Amino acid sequence: MLRWPRWLPAVVLTVLILFTAFPFYWAIVASFTPEATLFREPSLWPREFTLDHYRALFAERDFLTPVRNSLIVAGTTTLFCVTIGAFAAYALARLKFRGKALILGFILAVTMFPQISIVSPLYLLLRSLRLINTHPGLILPYITFAMPLTVWLLVGFFRQLPGDLEEAALVDGATRWQSFTKILLPLAAPGLATTAILTFIYCWNEFLFALSFTLGPERQTVPVAIALFRGQYQVPWGQILAAAVLATAPVAAMVLIFQRRIVQGLTAGAVKG
Amino acid sequence: MTRALCGKRSPCSWLVLGMSLILLTACQANAKEDGTVLTFSGSALGAEGTLLALQLERFMRENPDLHVRVLRTPEGATQRHQLYVQWLNARVGDPDVLQLDVVWTPEFAAAGWILPLDRFKPAVGDFFPATIEANSWAGKLYGLPWFVDVGLLYRRTDLVPREPRNLDDMVALARAAQSRRGGPRYGIVWQGARYEGLVTTFIEYLGAFGGRIIDDQGKVMLDSPEAVRALTFMRKTLYDDRIAPLDVLTWHEEEGRFAFQNGNAAFMRNWPYPYAAMNDTAQSRVAGKFTIGPMPAAPGGKSTAALGGNQLAINAYTEHADAAYRLIAYLTAPEQMLERAAEVGQYPSRRALFDDGRLSAALATPVEQARRAIESATPRPVTPIYTELSEILQIELHRALVRQAEPEAALRSAAMRINALVERTGMRELMSKKAP
Amino acid sequence: MKSESKLGLVLVAPALGVIALIALFPLGWTLWESLHQHDLRMPWLGQSFIGLGNFAEIMGDPRFWGSLGHTAFFTVVSISLELVLGLFLALAMNRAFRGRGAVRAAILVPWAIPTVVAALLWRFMFESEAGIANAVLLDLGILEKAIVWFIHTGTSWVPVILADVWKTTPFVALLLLAGLQNIDKSLYEAASMDGAGAWWQLTHITIPLLKHAILVTLIFRTLDAFRVFDLIYVLTGGGPGTSTEPVALYAFNALLQNLRFGYGSAVSVVIFAITFGLAVLYIKGLGVSLQGDER
Repeated sequence: MLRWPRWLPAVVLTVLILFTAFPFYWAIVASFTPEATLFREPSLWPREFTLDHYRALFAERDFLTPVRNSLIVAGTTTLFCVTIGAFAAYALARLKFRGKALILGFILAVTMFPQISIVSPLYLLLRSLRLINTHPGLILPYITFAMPLTVWLLVGFFRQLPGDLEEAALVDGATRWQSFTKILLPLAAPGLATTAILTFIYCWNEFLFALSFTLGPERQTVPVAIALFRGQYQVPWGQILAAAVLATAPVAAMVLIFQRRIVQGLTAGAVKG
Repeated sequence: MTRALCGKRSPCSWLVLGMSLILLTACQANAKEDGTVLTFSGSALGAEGTLLALQLERFMRENPDLHVRVLRTPEGATQRHQLYVQWLNARVGDPDVLQLDVVWTPEFAAAGWILPLDRFKPAVGDFFPATIEANSWAGKLYGLPWFVDVGLLYRRTDLVPREPRNLDDMVALARAAQSRRGGPRYGIVWQGARYEGLVTTFIEYLGAFGGRIIDDQGKVMLDSPEAVRALTFMRKTLYDDRIAPLDVLTWHEEEGRFAFQNGNAAFMRNWPYPYAAMNDTAQSRVAGKFTIGPMPAAPGGKSTAALGGNQLAINAYTEHADAAYRLIAYLTAPEQMLERAAEVGQYPSRRALFDDGRLSAALATPVEQARRAIESATPRPVTPIYTELSEILQIELHRALVRQAEPEAALRSAAMRINALVERTGMRELMSKKAP
Repeated sequence: MKSESKLGLVLVAPALGVIALIALFPLGWTLWESLHQHDLRMPWLGQSFIGLGNFAEIMGDPRFWGSLGHTAFFTVVSISLELVLGLFLALAMNRAFRGRGAVRAAILVPWAIPTVVAALLWRFMFESEAGIANAVLLDLGILEKAIVWFIHTGTSWVPVILADVWKTTPFVALLLLAGLQNIDKSLYEAASMDGAGAWWQLTHITIPLLKHAILVTLIFRTLDAFRVFDLIYVLTGGGPGTSTEPVALYAFNALLQNLRFGYGSAVSVVIFAITFGLAVLYIKGLGVSLQGDER
């Protein structure tokens, strides 16, 4: 092993944790601070406490609407992509057929697409379908990045499963379909769940499409709603930060609970020779 | 239906056909209710929303044959603009009546998206001329002014004893106030972030020095000596006089309001909206200690206030033009305007109301000062390409104010780019032709 | 074997079809749009074929070249920082210590939250002369006088880069950590036995063996940084002036602020071409084979 001074890693990690945590800490403190004192001699320790920003978020801003929109859009996209993607990933990971490498390369290429390059046709397409500012009008564009992502991640997971399982089943007289649904799927369940979580997080966080294809408070997703909190005249920092805290909480919780799987998923897809 | 929308030449037609089958459930059209249903789109939030609902309720009682439905729209001007473009571009009848920002009328009129109102014979003489000018395109009237916003100079009466006589006097007064014992940190605050507000602020200084953005022949006047002097003056207040904090270059209306309300500024450029709240001792440290007046002028120019405000217009594809106009006429009638002034503090666009005793009772701000400001108000350039013109101007002004460019160079570049825009969009020809 | 390859194609078809339909087809459409004048806001201009006119306008627009420069600057600076810091971090985490799982989880949180939220957190810290960044730097004596961060180009980049480093270094570190864990420990033991120092081990064992992981990370991050949008949209809006505007924001403004679909599409095509070129360059030039057929 590398021989470092004993104290070095501990110091590095402490600094790192402070650096990571401080913006969150500061946002939480500010979200409980009255608007008028937000920029008056900042202090690291909270001095005043108010729930006004959170109250206003639901009473005036109807923050539940963007939350609901985000849940619907991210949930549907995830469900759709993981379902369709699972078949494709199974085939790509476990079956032998020509053109596989090409297909994999193609899918990887699509994940690297700059989203902005397809905003204009998607906009015109959704407009002619009357889908601008609707849930399907966001789900469709989301599939463009979610589908390649799920396939890519799932291929990684399916490959990690032991190789001789299906052969054994096939020998026992099971069909390919049976071996897939009865044997492989249950084993792959953790991988599917991880993929679903990651896909959901990507959809939940997406901004450019949501900004381009929604038009009003009724259909905005959480990131767009927060970014556009700026009113006609004002920048309501207290409410913005309260919303930021609320939007972060579920994702943070998911990450903390599923961190081992998430790390596995992220690295399995990317760093393999 | 989709085929017609899409057009033969675009590659989407075949795809549209296929996808519409898949997504049929998502495109269900709303069936209209019995009787004539008018759709209205505009600000429907907070106090404005409550007032609108009340007035629409009354309108429906008086007009039992009509039913008005409100469509929700985004709050931010840019977002609402985008939604409108979308709706109007689709050439459908909804919404029948639209609340437009003052700078959008020519754009929508030139595109043929809203109806000329002349055939309804509105009494245009009752309104402030500047608001009528802002709502006219190619000799026709396209929107009826609903309320007026106007740039005001707020002044702390306890720190600055008298109105500034001219711009230099304002600087002197601001500095004097700043240097008093316990005086405010800032002499003046305004809207200087890179957004529409910066253009409105600039227009006031520009007018004060006798300049214009575009003259009556459609010629871009931004590289004039007056414009350079105006922008140089704004910059001087930041870096030399130091009466305006550099912070204002990131500020919108509300940040300035907070500074002023916390007692940190002697002057503030803003709209009428914060007046009532700043007189509320519960949230303001300056209640009863400030007044409003017009922006002062420099020698050779005139006192100028940027004109803001909203108007009501009719969708060109409406099937109920007459009913829609009845609604507009009702909402812009004196009674409704007075109520609006009382409930949400917005200035009426009807000149005669400023002689009406009921207005002074309804309005928090002193009526006489408000009238003076409105009468000296200057509309922003009345042109269909305003949104893009403004974007160019915002960028170049901001570049000059943050000292990335000299005022003269920035304005020359703005003029050049706006001229290119005018050429590209065929505005010169369009301005000589009658509107489509 | 035959039935297997048939089944494979059948199973892959839906996903591939969907991707082709909503990702590839629009790309072709973008190309088509980019050859036209198409201003949604100015219907009186019509929609006419103008060949490469839009591209000529792009090439002549200094704002476009500026935005390209800003994107490149952002990409190079943020990725260099992230790689160095990420490697450092990965090395620190590549040893068993109590609470390693907790540390790993904690640093993942910034990566997982919406970029918009991250941008707002940093914007808030640097907002106003009375913000916390100024207060802390003044207290520490690093600054003599409060700075208005968002009115100078140089200082505007500080929160932008910091926010990106804050958000993506953990991801980089995790990718590198996974690579580190694949390195055979006996190599280090042998080297130590031969008396090699820590630095020698780092430069002669760790980094060469980590080359693959580093390159993959580099590709992912470059392509990601090159399309930066959310972060800057929220943090600076591209200002002051347009001096922090990246290409994606430039294209977005043309498309959705000004509704110039022809021109905006042309910008999109240019961005796509550059991204594609970068990817090809990396993959060919550096000889990385990404997840291949079978190992």
